[in-house]
Amino acid sequence: MTGLTLAVPSKGRLEQLTRDFFAERGLEITRPGGARSYLGAIEGMPDVTVRFFPASEIARELIRGTIHLGVTGRDLIHETVEHGPASVDFARPLGFGEADVVVAVPEAWIDVTHMHDLADVASDFRSRHGRWMRIATKYITITRQHFARAGIAEYRIVESLGATEAAPASGAADIIVDITTTGSTLTANQLRVLEDGVLLASQANLIVSKTVAWSADQRALCDTLLSRLRD
Amino acid sequence: MSADARKQAFEDLLTAQAASRINPPLLLPADPYFDLAGEEFGRRLLLTTGSDGAEYCLRPEFTLPIVADYIRNGTREPASFAYHGPIFRQRPDGPAEFTQAGLELLAQRDADLALDRVLAFARDALTVYEVAAPRIRLGSVALFESLLAQLEMPDAWRPRIRHRFGHDEAMDRLLTRLEAAPDVPRAEQPHRDALIEDITEQMVAAGLSLTESRTPSEIADRYLEQQALDAAHVSPQTLALLRRILAISAPALEALSLVEAIAHSEGLDLRAPVASLKRHIDALPPEIEIVFEAGFSPRLDYYTGIVFEIQSAEGQVLASGGQYDRLLERLGATAPIAASGCALWIDRLEAEAAR
Repeated sequence: MTGLTLAVPSKGRLEQLTRDFFAERGLEITRPGGARSYLGAIEGMPDVTVRFFPASEIARELIRGTIHLGVTGRDLIHETVEHGPASVDFARPLGFGEADVVVAVPEAWIDVTHMHDLADVASDFRSRHGRWMRIATKYITITRQHFARAGIAEYRIVESLGATEAAPASGAADIIVDITTTGSTLTANQLRVLEDGVLLASQANLIVSKTVAWSADQRALCDTLLSRLRD
Repeated sequence: MSADARKQAFEDLLTAQAASRINPPLLLPADPYFDLAGEEFGRRLLLTTGSDGAEYCLRPEFTLPIVADYIRNGTREPASFAYHGPIFRQRPDGPAEFTQAGLELLAQRDADLALDRVLAFARDALTVYEVAAPRIRLGSVALFESLLAQLEMPDAWRPRIRHRFGHDEAMDRLLTRLEAAPDVPRAEQPHRDALIEDITEQMVAAGLSLTESRTPSEIADRYLEQQALDAAHVSPQTLALLRRILAISAPALEALSLVEAIAHSEGLDLRAPVASLKRHIDALPPEIEIVFEAGFSPRLDYYTGIVFEIQSAEGQVLASGGQYDRLLERLGATAPIAASGCALWIDRLEAEAAR
């Protein structure tokens, strides 16, 4: 096997910015079938197959080792599975798609400014309210990892697949773990990020799978590609 | 001895415990596990969802279904249960099936004797599987709770320190924070009523329920308590003493002498938990290496007295258990019920034997 598979986000800003980034370095990504096609190429590099996938699938396939390299958010690598970060190499950050995964509490919780406050609140939440403290998030793996590290075990996750920031007001959860770029959505919902509440600073990365079976030729081709993507 | 012979010998050992053999369902509701052990244990479960959205898991261990069943039956009579069968856990490299066996002794009249029976059972299992050079780690929740109750500090700090027992990093962070606490007089505290009014306004403006989650008075009280705590120092001597004791990790008798010496010089009474530890150590054969670690505890708050873990020479956990009197209350018993037990990792024991 000599060919390489490169996965690129299939739509929206991430697709455009990724193609711009490659183009600025002389690598034109083509998508002959337009937005409804999932196969593409890089001009002048016939051994590289480009596949257009949703960003979360790119993370999953990099970890599984079914594609060689791809562009996706660091957060998705961490979230997909606990051993995700160990299964890939982050070849380089791309300078876009910045977002932080943060812990946010209602602004009215004036006594909670740090994770250690949350540990106190969680530890007697059940005796006060007859239930565990609830955290709304779609970042289940990241939440569990960081809360375990902070020594917080007494909580339940409520899986949220959209509008996580509304969960405290709707009564679905007490606090949230969510992704934010400017913080304006959180502020608008009167939520406040804890001072040590940034669990992960993420951005789009060019990522190389470590679990794929690399041949020497593929490795060499990958090195060539990566060297052309340096600044 | 062959693997089959070992299996038979272990079955004989289980039978000899004169305990009821019990085999809880493989498919169990997941909620009780989340309720009891939280998300940290939850991520180890193999989950599946019913068509009505209810979550189920493949049996991840035996103690909870056994104890829940015992409570449902409503008796308070002494009971002992033995089990042996598959359990399922998520591992970093994927889902896996293990064989676990164990013993649970509930509502026994003599809690110390019950723990001795559990330890003897674990020890006999090690013999069946010819484990070379096992090492027993002992910890004592009772000792730590007794120490904490006697140390001089503002009361509000005690539950916060207790809560971090068994999590070395979280404990270290808290103690470091206390050690660094600035010794400055606090600005005047806001009035409680005014504070509650402010918080209520904020919550209403944010569309939060005033009753479903934390209430304005709960937040105000903790805020004021927090302000008071920042001013309420734990003395450097107390913190140093706590650190000294938590750092104790040595051959059991040596470690306990050290605990006694510290208790004596600091005027603490730790005689009861130390005596209890010594009694159980005496009941174990001298050729087994026993280490007492003052900071060792499972991260589950239903453990009460002595806790233990048996490791192979390579440090792999072969068995773990202890006294867990608070579990039965957590699962709905109306009064405390003594309980002790242990779980054995049969696959690892068999791997030790095959060596």
